[in-house]
Amino acid sequence: MTALLEACDLAKTYDTGGLPVVALNGVDLTVRRGEFVAVMGPSGCGKSTLLNLVAGLDRPSAGAVWFEGERIDQLSETALARLRRRRLGFVFQFFNLLPTLSAEANVELPLLLTGTSRREARRTARGLLADLGIGDKGRSAPSRLSGGQQQRVALARALANQPDLVVGDEPTGNLDSGSAREVLGLLREAHGRGQTLLLATHDARVAAAADRVVTLRDGRVFDDRTLGAARPVTLPFDPEPL
Amino acid sequence: MTTTLVRLAFSGIRTRLLASALTLLLAATAAATVVLAVEVGQTGREPWDRTFAAAHGAHVLANVPSEKAARALQSRQGVVEAGAPVPETTVELRTGDGPEPVRISGLSGRPRVNAPVRIAGTATPGDGIVLEHSLASALGLGVGDRLTFAGGVRLPVVGTAVLPSVARYPRSNPGVAWVDRPTFDSLQPLGDLGSWTVALRLADPAAAPRVAGSILAHAPPGSVSAQTWQEQRSVALMDAQPLQLILAMYAVVLLAVVFAVVAILVGARALEQHRQIGLLKAVGLTPRQVTLVFVIESAGLGLVAAVLGFAAGALLAPLLAGPSSETMLGSPTVAANPAHLVVAAALVVLVLVLSTWLATRRRTRFSVLHALESGRSAPPSTSLLARLVARLPVGVPLAVGARTLLAGRARALLLAGAISLTGAAFVFALSMQASLDAQPAGQVSDVPAELPVLVYTLDGVLLLIAIASLLAIALLGLRERLRDFGVLKTVGLTPRQVASTLVSPYALLAAIASVLSVPVGVALYVAVYRAAGGDGDPTIASWTWLALVPVATVLLVVAATSVPARMAAHASAVDVLRTE
Repeated sequence: MTALLEACDLAKTYDTGGLPVVALNGVDLTVRRGEFVAVMGPSGCGKSTLLNLVAGLDRPSAGAVWFEGERIDQLSETALARLRRRRLGFVFQFFNLLPTLSAEANVELPLLLTGTSRREARRTARGLLADLGIGDKGRSAPSRLSGGQQQRVALARALANQPDLVVGDEPTGNLDSGSAREVLGLLREAHGRGQTLLLATHDARVAAAADRVVTLRDGRVFDDRTLGAARPVTLPFDPEPL
Repeated sequence: MTTTLVRLAFSGIRTRLLASALTLLLAATAAATVVLAVEVGQTGREPWDRTFAAAHGAHVLANVPSEKAARALQSRQGVVEAGAPVPETTVELRTGDGPEPVRISGLSGRPRVNAPVRIAGTATPGDGIVLEHSLASALGLGVGDRLTFAGGVRLPVVGTAVLPSVARYPRSNPGVAWVDRPTFDSLQPLGDLGSWTVALRLADPAAAPRVAGSILAHAPPGSVSAQTWQEQRSVALMDAQPLQLILAMYAVVLLAVVFAVVAILVGARALEQHRQIGLLKAVGLTPRQVTLVFVIESAGLGLVAAVLGFAAGALLAPLLAGPSSETMLGSPTVAANPAHLVVAAALVVLVLVLSTWLATRRRTRFSVLHALESGRSAPPSTSLLARLVARLPVGVPLAVGARTLLAGRARALLLAGAISLTGAAFVFALSMQASLDAQPAGQVSDVPAELPVLVYTLDGVLLLIAIASLLAIALLGLRERLRDFGVLKTVGLTPRQVASTLVSPYALLAAIASVLSVPVGVALYVAVYRAAGGDGDPTIASWTWLALVPVATVLLVVAATSVPARMAAHASAVDVLRTE
């Protein structure tokens, strides 16, 4: 598999009221095309910061991020936005759907941004929502959907442009165990179709579904192992309960 | 409980200083305009009284066809003093701009009652002529100028004077002048037979209407007129009437804008303080009591604004009453009638209370548990208008922004109303200017010189208010939607597109509202023109000028919203999404 994403010696320091807080300290990470990588670690270890940096949502204090051979940490905001709209999809713990748009319109949004016609965007969005089992909820406002349904809409939005990489920050973190299981199943299906996934999670079941688990601790890579047959992985810390 | 509610209200004012200051500014401006509208007519009262005293004014001024009839009135019951009958006629004055009719009185010495009061030169005509002061000003004449009348009579201007019974020229038209009897007899009357006036002073001035009524009752209809001192005063003070009419119109516009802006600000605050409202309800306040906290807050600000507005309005009123002072002795004075404070306070507080109540009554009725758990109110349901916009072939930023703006129907409508009224005020000003410009050269306008200045000043104030309010509303929108902007960035909107989701819907709303403002402004102008007693059809501003109103409005709205839009464009997606 070829490298889709490479982070080299990545560091991020936040200035919180004059006090520097090191969130990441020299992280190296390579994600290959088609890979499912789970990033684990205790709260505050730098999981979300790592995802934000590799997805171009934030800029590193040091180090570099390469996406398919192109260095992206120095791109302009506009160039990064264009990269995100075509090649990256995001799934968040709190869904982050636009409350004034219907479920369907939320999914259409990235399609319209890439120049897809309105009719085609509508058709694709409906198809995606149907594939994710919520075809009948397309016209509903996000506030009228359950957490699991909202996360499905978010997943459909992330997958709409068939991005090279789907980045998820605790995608099951705010769901009940039934919904979490369903969303994980959908992520696995997407991975089964060749989708590259990079997910930060506390959920052992998500980690167990991944090809590789990268464990962070205190802003550094503590462990990076490819999972074989001996699943589930043995975690170096106590996972938070679902 | 009342004390607790008042404390909560004042705590709300203290913690929201910027919004409170904006509400105070808006309400105080509206209050000042209301006070100006009612005070400006009264500031001339004292100068008129002074003029009446100096002239030894007539309690009843009768105009009769003959000297004999005039003398008969001198001995009427209740009359304690009477001036000698004064003949009057209209003559033609030749000026550079053409003939000008002038009503001439022929004096035999200084009248005992209703004597012209000197402003410049002398009030005794001698071999010359004394011009009424506002007539001299309007024609640009002064002491020493020589006038030529029909028939070739030439007279030097020896003075200017005022009289409490003569209103300002050209509203009182023809203008008035005084000559002595020999000169009067040498002038060539302009068609009419002339008449005689007799000035009467009464033992009981309050009986003037009864005496005047009795004079009219005993004469053939149309042959006699009689003016009481009360009528003389109200005619003199009517010079401020156009100003009062304009001020009243702007007061209504300002109160409507205040209503809309306060409803938006308070409504947004109620949404933002969803969790705090939930806490208040959790400790035992009913939804009505929570609404009351907001209402008390607005009423408190309204009362302070009324006092500030009253002070400003009362102080500014004499400056506006300049036209009246031209026919009176001395300058208009500060009236500061406490009843006007009550009027302003009642109107402003009523508007603030009503807008606050309407904006908050529904936003205090929700599940306490939901408020405490989520900390935010349920998002608005998608409106029909928003769904319609979604079908339009517009770009993603406008489609997303418009759907968000229109999701809050009430806010969008209120904002559109405020923009439309502001635009209408400008259409009004442009039409007024067009009417003034359409007057033939040399024709003296009866529009007070202060009127256009007043209208443009009020338009400027309205514009500043509209921009400040729009900025505040856009900043509120930014705060409410910060998380959405973060989401839009992650989905792939560029900073420019993110900014456009904020600016473009406001620009679209402004475009629609400002186009509507044109017919509203024209209707307003026509209504005021008719109410002011304008003759014929009013002149409306040209389409070119009218078209400028929507264009300028949209540009201003874009400029005002581009500040928060830039903030939205540069907000870090990570930071705003982390706030969850």
